[in-house]
Amino acid sequence: MIDTLFEGLAVQCVGRCDPAKTGLAWSVFLAPSELLAAARRLYEALYFIEDLTAIDAREGYLLVYHFDHMDKPGRVALRVLIPHDAAALPSIAPVFQGAEWHERETTDFYGIRFDGNPNPVPLLLPPEMTDHPLQKDPEKRAPLATLVAVGDIVRSTADFFLLPPEAPKPEASGA
Amino acid sequence: MRYEEMGLTEGDFYSRNFQKGAREDTLILNLGPQHPATHGVLRVIVELDGEYVIRAEPVIGYLHRMHEKMAEVRSIYQYLPNMGRVDYGHALGWNWALVGAVEKLAGFEVPERAQYIRVITTELNRITSHLLWWGAFTLDLGAITPIMYAFDDRERMLDILQMATGSRLTHSSFRVGGVCADINDTFIEACKEFIPHMRGRLPMYRDLVTGNIILRKRLEGVGVFDADLCRRYGGSGPVVRGSGIAYDARKAEATPMYDRFDWKVAVQTGGDSMARYLVRMDEMEQSLNIIEQALASLPEGKVMMPKAPKVTWQVPKGEAYFATEGARGKVGIHLVSDGGKNPYKIKLRSPCFSNLSLFAEAARGTLLADALAILGSLDLVIPEIDR
Repeated sequence: MIDTLFEGLAVQCVGRCDPAKTGLAWSVFLAPSELLAAARRLYEALYFIEDLTAIDAREGYLLVYHFDHMDKPGRVALRVLIPHDAAALPSIAPVFQGAEWHERETTDFYGIRFDGNPNPVPLLLPPEMTDHPLQKDPEKRAPLATLVAVGDIVRSTADFFLLPPEAPKPEASGA
Repeated sequence: MRYEEMGLTEGDFYSRNFQKGAREDTLILNLGPQHPATHGVLRVIVELDGEYVIRAEPVIGYLHRMHEKMAEVRSIYQYLPNMGRVDYGHALGWNWALVGAVEKLAGFEVPERAQYIRVITTELNRITSHLLWWGAFTLDLGAITPIMYAFDDRERMLDILQMATGSRLTHSSFRVGGVCADINDTFIEACKEFIPHMRGRLPMYRDLVTGNIILRKRLEGVGVFDADLCRRYGGSGPVVRGSGIAYDARKAEATPMYDRFDWKVAVQTGGDSMARYLVRMDEMEQSLNIIEQALASLPEGKVMMPKAPKVTWQVPKGEAYFATEGARGKVGIHLVSDGGKNPYKIKLRSPCFSNLSLFAEAARGTLLADALAILGSLDLVIPEIDR
């Protein structure tokens, strides 16, 4: 269902997850440029926004947007990777107005900029504060492959950054 | 945008920011941070034309404690007591969300008896939370007596909950793989005595308050939310169920054991403050039904799984999202672990945060007194918003 929902969008990877193990039904990776369009598709399909946050990993900040459906439960996680040194992406507040606060919170905690947020002032931390407490020290950042669930890949682009390594060939069984 | 970027060096940041869009003939008023109707340290800036609200902006963060940072510098066991402090009203909902996320990630099987104890105590806690809201909300609307009745019942329930959880307010009795202590016969007897008592009290609440003409005039048709508004802001709990959507995370997310009991999701179709009020009143009855059935079918057995993790245990690599229904809506924990001593990241999805974020849109164009009724009908617990 999610596969057809994002028809026509440049999606990097769509993975089907096991809700019993991860709590997610779908894990979808996409480029920042596709985010707003994807949010609009979810809104038209009557999804609601649960939350959004970032994960500070070695490859960059992975923004994670959680959506769920009130009639057909099944959590969809949209994920967008952005580099540490250019931490900005479009706001989805024009579609899901509730995202405004979540984005401001993420700016407070990580210093990520959301272009198009209607009121980009600090939400939880004091306006004088310039530190971003959830940024990790570079040496403490873990690689994304250990952190996030990609699920069973339904489709992905050939150069998707989290493609699992080829399954090791079974060793020839000795006598 | 911060202070210096706004070209300001003095005055209050949020007032200055709010003033930018104001008309010349209006009044800007600060409700809070210390205001009797905001139940804690919440501030709402409103722009008024006469008594009508043109614009409102909640200013939050006065009770912010950075629970998400604390999660990264503590082990899961050290972090458990934080859950009782995120939402003091329904602490056990948060307890369950955290242990549920860890159990999901680690693939643990929790003994049935422990799950039943979780259901019973969580539902008791839900009633105490709704009673607290009921008393405080009616107080906002000018009725001073109901909170006395509410606290009478709540006091009895806290005594009962104390037997099972060891505390009266910031409960943190759930453990990864079970609960910290078994319940005893005294607790079961006290519950069995309390259920008929509470069932006798609810009709009195209805006669005394729910049917009261002043209450109805203050709430009916005030703050009508539709399903679209709830979806755009991520509203949950009684806020969506008052708008005709039967969405309850206990059923939608299949919280363990709830499918074994016969209970209904309380729904009202009005969408107004009265509908949200009625949903919570119905929920108390449903919770009593669940507790009664759980006590009647309580299985024997252990309350901790065999080989339950010790204090130094490390959460395995990966991520898990676990959500359950708190008294105020969908409580979610997104746990990310790199297999280290402390969680790599924990995101707390707070229902009050999302519910309050729709207030600005809902309050636009209402009378100031009605805006306060809407605020109260959201059932806000400030520490949960600020985390």
